[in-house]
Amino acid sequence: MVDFMKRALELASEALSAQEVPVGCVFTINSEIIAESRNSVNATHNPTRHAEINCIDTVIAHCKNNHIDYKMYFKNVTVYVTVEPCIMCAAALSNLCVKEVIYGCANDRFGGKTVLDISKFYEYNYNLTGNLMANEAMALLKQFYKGTNPNAPEPKTKKEKV
Amino acid sequence: MSEIKEPRLKRPKMSETVDNFIDNIINMKKNLHAVLGDEFHSSIPLLQVYTGHVRDLKQLSKIIVILNEKIQLKEMQHLKRARKKDVLLCPTDYVSHDVKSEDSVQKYLEEHIPELKDAFEFFKITEVPLLAPKLKRQHEEFSKIWSCNFHPNKYLEKLCGNEFFAEDELTSHRLYMGMTFEIARFYLSQMNSSLEMTDIILRDTNATVIVDPSTKSVVAVAFDNRQYHPVQHSAMLAIDNVAKTQNGGAWDTATDVKDVSLRGIEIELLVHLKEKFPNVKFGARTYLTKNALNESKMSVSGSPYLCTGYYVYLMREPCVMCSMGLVHARANRVFYCLKNNRKGALGSKTKLQCVSSLNHHFEVFTDFL
Ligand SMILES: [Zn+2]
Ligand SMILES: [Zn+2]
Repeated sequence: MVDFMKRALELASEALSAQEVPVGCVFTINSEIIAESRNSVNATHNPTRHAEINCIDTVIAHCKNNHIDYKMYFKNVTVYVTVEPCIMCAAALSNLCVKEVIYGCANDRFGGKTVLDISKFYEYNYNLTGNLMANEAMALLKQFYKGTNPNAPEPKTKKEKV
Repeated sequence: MSEIKEPRLKRPKMSETVDNFIDNIINMKKNLHAVLGDEFHSSIPLLQVYTGHVRDLKQLSKIIVILNEKIQLKEMQHLKRARKKDVLLCPTDYVSHDVKSEDSVQKYLEEHIPELKDAFEFFKITEVPLLAPKLKRQHEEFSKIWSCNFHPNKYLEKLCGNEFFAEDELTSHRLYMGMTFEIARFYLSQMNSSLEMTDIILRDTNATVIVDPSTKSVVAVAFDNRQYHPVQHSAMLAIDNVAKTQNGGAWDTATDVKDVSLRGIEIELLVHLKEKFPNVKFGARTYLTKNALNESKMSVSGSPYLCTGYYVYLMREPCVMCSMGLVHARANRVFYCLKNNRKGALGSKTKLQCVSSLNHHFEVFTDFL
């Protein structure tokens, strides 16, 4: 578990170097990585290119190329992501009926549990666990927001914003 | 199926031809309505409070001054402290006695504000509006219960009325909504040559048109591909198509169109739409990189950024994923025609536009039928 999250954190640092919001993600089946990615919003000018969506694309392409039914395939997927999936990604993962989602730190701005609990709208809900290496994930986010916007005012609350 | 639960009036007639249906959408004069938060219509939530009936009306202003100092009602600034001879003391749960009664509130006063222990003839338990009125109509209603402070807001009054859009605005919103159905027809009729309205409406599918109102031009369009790719709902595709007009994009659904401003629309579809809608403009404003903006000393607003300022038209109310995608994209207004009772996130299952902790909020309009 920790190893997968470590890999997700590496991808998040990679995003940071590329001046993207540092979120990284790996998809696993039976303890094997089947897809990995990070945020690519700025590079694509598409605000929906979150790490999770990029991983979903990889899996869909893999299934298509190998004539696998993606609906069956996703049911065995465990998602490791450094930050709690946003409302959009949480909805996408629910639609796909992934088995489990394990995240690092909570997402106070967009979280699909923290800001709006989307599990209320779906018949299927995956297992959701947080707080795996949360400090490391949060440290990367802090670095990003410090770096890109030196003139931004200090957040009003003491709670860290993602 | 969700459609069966729809109220009769709002359901398009299934026997209608596609042509008739689209013509109706485009030509009807009926104004649109905003999809607003519950605080605008649901019944008033109430709060239980103690009030005291003052013995001597001449003492009223003095009593209020003392009360305002000793028992501040921070979350209830919208409530006036007095109504005729009755004075609002505090919510009943401030008084920590087992039995809520006149005796306990008298004791509470004696302990906390001894100078007012003889000020009241009797006490009552009353219910007052928990929230501030936002509309004149609500103010009138709330005032029957207790006197409230009220700051009328012209924009909100208009937004809640039946004449929000002027005639020319309404005409263009209806035209772009008609276009979403035309897009669905364009793709679905390739599979089914005798396409009927039911084939469009009962299918789990969607079509999206994104418009830049500042240039009155269609920037991007998309038709659903969810059958083959579970994330490629039309709104998600349309957001990516907008990105393509800004030198970006992630899905290689389009096109090696040379003109960047037209990369948001698949070429065969563009030809078809131009023929069907000869008076509509297509294409995005010129995208400028940060460097180009700096060189020409233009402000950030000189170049389009994501869907900022754009209007988004959807055949059907978008799901949670698509709605949040549109929040991320910073769309300015979202319009939809058909309700999505099972999955809709802009009115049916939830109202994402009303989640106050999100960093961006768009307005949502519907009632095309
Ligand atoms: Zn996300
Ligand atoms: Zn959707």
